[in-house]
Amino acid sequence: MSDHSTAPLDSSSGPPDSGAAETPRRNFVVQFLAGALGALAGLVPAVTGGLFFLDPILRKNKAPAAPAEGTDAGGVVKKDGFIRMNITLDALPADGTPLQVKVFDDIINVWNKIPNQPVGSVWMRRINDQVLVFNTVCPHLGCAVEHRAAEGDFYCPCHLSAFGLDGEKKNPIPPRGMDSLEVRQEGHEVWVRFQNFRAATPEKVPV
Amino acid sequence: MIQSLIQWLDHRTGIKDLLHEALYERVPGGARWRYVWGSTLVFTFSLQMITGLCLMTAYSASTQTAWESVYYIQNQMFLGNVVRGLHHFAAQAMVVLLAFHLIQVIIDGAYKAPREINFWLGLILMKIVLGLGLTGYLLPWDQKGYYATQVSTKIMGATPLVGPEVQTLAQGGEAYSHHTLTRFFAMHVGILPGLLVAFLALHIYVFRRHGLTVKEPKKGPDTMFWPDQVLKDAVACLGVLAVVMLLTLFKGAELSPPADPSEGYAAARPEWYFLFLFRFLKFEAVEHFGLAFGAIIVPGALMGVLFAMPLIARLKGGHKVNCAFTWVVMAGITLLTAMAFYEDGTDPDHQAAIAEASRDAHRIQELAGRPSMIPVDGALSVLRQDPFTQGPKLFAKHCSSCHRWDGHNGRGSLVRQVDDQDKSKKIVTRPEAVDLAKFASREWMKSVVVNYSSHFAALQNAAWYGKKDGDIDVLEGEMAGASKEYSEAFQKPENAKDLDALVEYLVAQTSRKDLKPDDALVARGQALMEGGDLADGSSFNSCTNCHDRIGRKFAVSEDEFSYPDLAGYGSAAWLKAFLTNPGSSQFYGEKNHMPAYAEKMTPAEMDLLIQWMTGDYYKTEVHEYPSRLSDIPAPQAAAEPAAQPAPAS
Repeated sequence: MSDHSTAPLDSSSGPPDSGAAETPRRNFVVQFLAGALGALAGLVPAVTGGLFFLDPILRKNKAPAAPAEGTDAGGVVKKDGFIRMNITLDALPADGTPLQVKVFDDIINVWNKIPNQPVGSVWMRRINDQVLVFNTVCPHLGCAVEHRAAEGDFYCPCHLSAFGLDGEKKNPIPPRGMDSLEVRQEGHEVWVRFQNFRAATPEKVPV
Repeated sequence: MIQSLIQWLDHRTGIKDLLHEALYERVPGGARWRYVWGSTLVFTFSLQMITGLCLMTAYSASTQTAWESVYYIQNQMFLGNVVRGLHHFAAQAMVVLLAFHLIQVIIDGAYKAPREINFWLGLILMKIVLGLGLTGYLLPWDQKGYYATQVSTKIMGATPLVGPEVQTLAQGGEAYSHHTLTRFFAMHVGILPGLLVAFLALHIYVFRRHGLTVKEPKKGPDTMFWPDQVLKDAVACLGVLAVVMLLTLFKGAELSPPADPSEGYAAARPEWYFLFLFRFLKFEAVEHFGLAFGAIIVPGALMGVLFAMPLIARLKGGHKVNCAFTWVVMAGITLLTAMAFYEDGTDPDHQAAIAEASRDAHRIQELAGRPSMIPVDGALSVLRQDPFTQGPKLFAKHCSSCHRWDGHNGRGSLVRQVDDQDKSKKIVTRPEAVDLAKFASREWMKSVVVNYSSHFAALQNAAWYGKKDGDIDVLEGEMAGASKEYSEAFQKPENAKDLDALVEYLVAQTSRKDLKPDDALVARGQALMEGGDLADGSSFNSCTNCHDRIGRKFAVSEDEFSYPDLAGYGSAAWLKAFLTNPGSSQFYGEKNHMPAYAEKMTPAEMDLLIQWMTGDYYKTEVHEYPSRLSDIPAPQAAAEPAAQPAPAS
């Protein structure tokens, strides 16, 4: 207790008494060094930690290089970003009726790679020997667009967006038509560049 | 402007008073280096909070993701190795600083009245920090942490009366599981740090209440905490940071292979600051009294004395007793730690286990970095299916009682046995069959062709050798004779290329992807095999004269085989047929002495062994175990010719 009572508590007096103040110059150097070194010791971990936290932005190689083409372990066949669909031209209705098809790709989840997983689905239509492909995600707010056979259109049950079978919008609810996807046909094989797009914008912006 | 802003802030918050209170602590007798330990501990704890929170953003506590997420932090994330390294080494630094702080407090008498409570608060803080070390050690879910923590939880289980309940609570169940990790994680990042902050606040509050304990004699006039003592503290903190950073950058935090309950880890050790306890428990006298005595009662008694120190100090000479006790315990801890390090350093089995763990650790990190990444069932499944990892273990288990791999047992260790003459000594066991490290390589093929008897010379060490007439054939029979002929024929410089061609033809038989035979040489080798003459014009005694199934192109004899089938010799298929039953008439027939492995290994194990032996695995940059060929003693026959029975022929 006696020790405590000797500590000065007069806040107005500032840096105190006798000895320490006798060489103001030395005192300044000590103050500067104490502040600078103390700050340095604190900054190193703080900056290191901060940069680590920014990893999702700063890291260069975001995923290990995947084989550019050919079959990977999971059996998904890809070329230049196009995925070979598990359905051939002949399996699509010849009258142009839309068929919903799941798209399979490898899922990369930080350190895991899960081969050959359903990553989305598309509406596919055969018009003569050409194939039209739309992402089933509604460009309005991202629900799944359904096909209404009776009305002969596409229709979103969430907010009543409607589209023609050619994908053009039929009412003012969606900001744009259905998102068509690039298609490549090799013989009877159908290859699709599967992409998702930002919702609720008039333009088609890939995400 | 700034002045008025500061005044406004001060008026609303009283910040000036707070700063003044924090910085103008009285330091009687001037700033001194011996007062820095408390500050370095606060600093290191802050460092742990920062790096720990960072690691928390990327760590995933489950048995299928813990190792994987730490691997990812360490190898893939930006500055991940630095953040993890700082956390890893600062944790150890904290224990060292705690020891310094405690010793300084004891020898300076700072634990005595009126500071007893603060001393006890400090001891509680010490236990919390040790608890943080213990819980953090398991979180990477690697072999090292897994097996070391198994010991800790088993010790908990040895607690008198409530042991099993304590262990089950700590583990989150009867055995290690996801919940062991989630519970340890919650302890490590929530409960223990929370307690630490609370007790630290109390510790600092009580410290300020009683002020610094001055070490007499005073060295100078009184000063304030700011700036003189702050400068010394800052320099000390930077020193700690520098040491931790250097260890991080040049040593790096280890990540041993993923925890595998089915694969023991002989090199399991607790973190080094618990090694003294580990070594203490190994004394026979201690073991005699049971685990609870060595691991709970004795350390508990030591802690009890520590807690009693402020009371002991009230007795006459009590302080001296406390100091003496401290030094004796520290000396004991140092001695036990040194013993543990020395014994491990000179124990070849321990060194081999460490080398193997390091090899497996590098390998799994290499495999995890492949484009196929880590499957959802975790890295362990990758390691279990990797020939480069499992081959050596299978070889050691099934083959190394007779064969060697580059002189060792496959896992880098010499095969040793107790010396017959001096039972206290271990000597290197002579191999009883050929070393297989070079199996089916060019070197091997050449050696079999021109150097047959010395190639298989290790067979003379086998107990069976020379016991039956037929046995002798191996080293002194037809093939040995043929090899002598070949060796003379191929010694002529003009025939040297033909030997290469013959070897290349044999190499082509293996279908191994890693050997890439030269087509022109193979064609020349085939011509020789099919009855061509050597380059010097002399006729060549083709291998197919006896081994009528050496290449697919040759007609299969209708007779029962009398010579080993060499069709596809050295290939995975040949090796599989051979290992399944070497004694079949297709191979060694009645002359066989090698066990059949069809029943001894599962088909999957045999495939892993074969893939390893034939180089059929994801390419690696991990170092092979160093060769131990120079440690292998010469064949028995050479050393003791008298023991060799005369050839029967």
